[in-house]
Amino acid sequence: MTAIPDLVGRRTVILHRPDENTQRLVRQLGLLGLDAHVQWAPLDLEATPADIVLVDADQGWSGLLPWSGEPAPVPLVALLQSEAPGRVAWAISEGALAILPKPVVPAAVYPALVLAVTAHTRATEVAVRMERLEERLRMRPLVHAAVRAIEMAVRCDEEAAYAVLRRAAMKRRITIEQTAAEMLAGVIPLSEAG
Amino acid sequence: MVDTVKVGILFSCTGPYAAIGRDCRDGAALAFDEAAQKSGGAISFEPVYTDPEGEPRAYLEQARAMLRDAGCRHIIGTITSLARKEVIPLIEKHDGLLWYICPYEGFEANENVIYTGTCPNQHLMPLFEHLLPRQGRRVFLLGANYVWGWEMNRIARDLLRDAGGEVVGERYLPIEETDVERLIADIQSRRPDFILNNLIGPSSHAFLRAYKALGDADPAFRPEVRPVVSCDLTEAEIGEIGLGLSTGHLSVASYFGTLATPENERFRARAAAAFGPGRRLSSFVEGAYVAVHMLMDAVRSAGSDEPAAVRSAIHASLFETPHGPMRIDPRTNHAALPFHLGRIRDDGDFDIIASRPAIAADPYMTASRDGGRSSLRVVS
Repeated sequence: MTAIPDLVGRRTVILHRPDENTQRLVRQLGLLGLDAHVQWAPLDLEATPADIVLVDADQGWSGLLPWSGEPAPVPLVALLQSEAPGRVAWAISEGALAILPKPVVPAAVYPALVLAVTAHTRATEVAVRMERLEERLRMRPLVHAAVRAIEMAVRCDEEAAYAVLRRAAMKRRITIEQTAAEMLAGVIPLSEAG
Repeated sequence: MVDTVKVGILFSCTGPYAAIGRDCRDGAALAFDEAAQKSGGAISFEPVYTDPEGEPRAYLEQARAMLRDAGCRHIIGTITSLARKEVIPLIEKHDGLLWYICPYEGFEANENVIYTGTCPNQHLMPLFEHLLPRQGRRVFLLGANYVWGWEMNRIARDLLRDAGGEVVGERYLPIEETDVERLIADIQSRRPDFILNNLIGPSSHAFLRAYKALGDADPAFRPEVRPVVSCDLTEAEIGEIGLGLSTGHLSVASYFGTLATPENERFRARAAAAFGPGRRLSSFVEGAYVAVHMLMDAVRSAGSDEPAAVRSAIHASLFETPHGPMRIDPRTNHAALPFHLGRIRDDGDFDIIASRPAIAADPYMTASRDGGRSSLRVVS
């Protein structure tokens, strides 16, 4: 079963004109053990650190959130009353991972936060994994070159050469791509049999 | 001229959990009778009783009729979380107030609901704090296949993980399922230190009867060795199980009929006069009785049944109840409630074996999760 993230102590910033919705929201966030700060001005994460941001997607403009165009560094929840496709699209483009409908119903706050936090954690993990895979893909030609170099140096077939490379990588606890690069650079001797 | 305030009393007195509903309705009726006997005062109260018979749709229809047609602004009632969640949107729409008196699984704090039943930091957490060091940490989790069972067992898993305990088995049954043979066999083979019973209604009763038979056949499953522990089993249901069949097992409540305090002596005397001397008093009788008196006091002091005014009056008051003085937290609308652990007796009442004074409700369990492992301190 999915682990429920612990929300207690997280700092939230609500980008919304103070009104009944924000009052209800601040009360409910307090019950959930979160600090809440309400402002209706562009967010500066250095001046106002936040672990979760809730933004008024009905009135929000680009530039309200400091990461416009980039992936959101923190979970973002859209506060939304409008059904206008443009507003939903704005929320998505800013990186919203959950929608909290207005008028705010207290019972909807906790599920929306959990969803946004969980989705953000997953998205971050996927991004890291993808970066790693892309890196390995970029280094693939080095692996081929290293295997060929080992074949020539120790006079073996391709399969045996690859095994040599793999053993060397495991011994050093680094990736095969990194090992290949180091072998080609002469840091690790080609003849090393593991 | 006397203003009459109508109060909806919405409990299922027929259906799978009828015994609980009857206790709730009787407790409410006792309080209304007491108020009617005291003449004078500018406001009189008139209960509007209905019986949804355990049907979610009937809860909705009857609550709507109370709010829209009968002129009620307050409803005392619902037992299951399913029914409560069903009724809340209507209460919000009509800006009424729901008075919920039953133990539940927490994770709710609605502005239009006054919660006078316990939530997990008032039942399950102190139960584990008391029981794990004494009874052991290998626990079998049983639950109704419904939000009460699921959430209670989820919290139990978390608490056991933090306390270095072990879930040795986990099983779910529909409320009306009474075929418990496989479950009993499972418990027999896994031999837990105790069983946390979050079954409700007929399946819970069937399980306790079958477990009695197991204990009779094999002394390793007698209640003094491997007890069944519940957070919602009260005097209301011991007769349904069969007197003597659940003796020795444990349950948590904010009130037991045997509570030895002067306040409870007075309550017992009044209840005996109304229901006859043989009636066992549960936290449901007492809870409904307290809720009705609290509502009447608050309406009188606010001078109106307008929910916002009544809510403010409630938040500002300390109520005398048979379980002791009670306060409602303005942040959560939940009552601070004492913890009592009771052991079932042959006569269907409980011996209180451990108690803690009133604990403030923390419906979202923020304090416990904030403190992490330190939350499960052993208190003796």
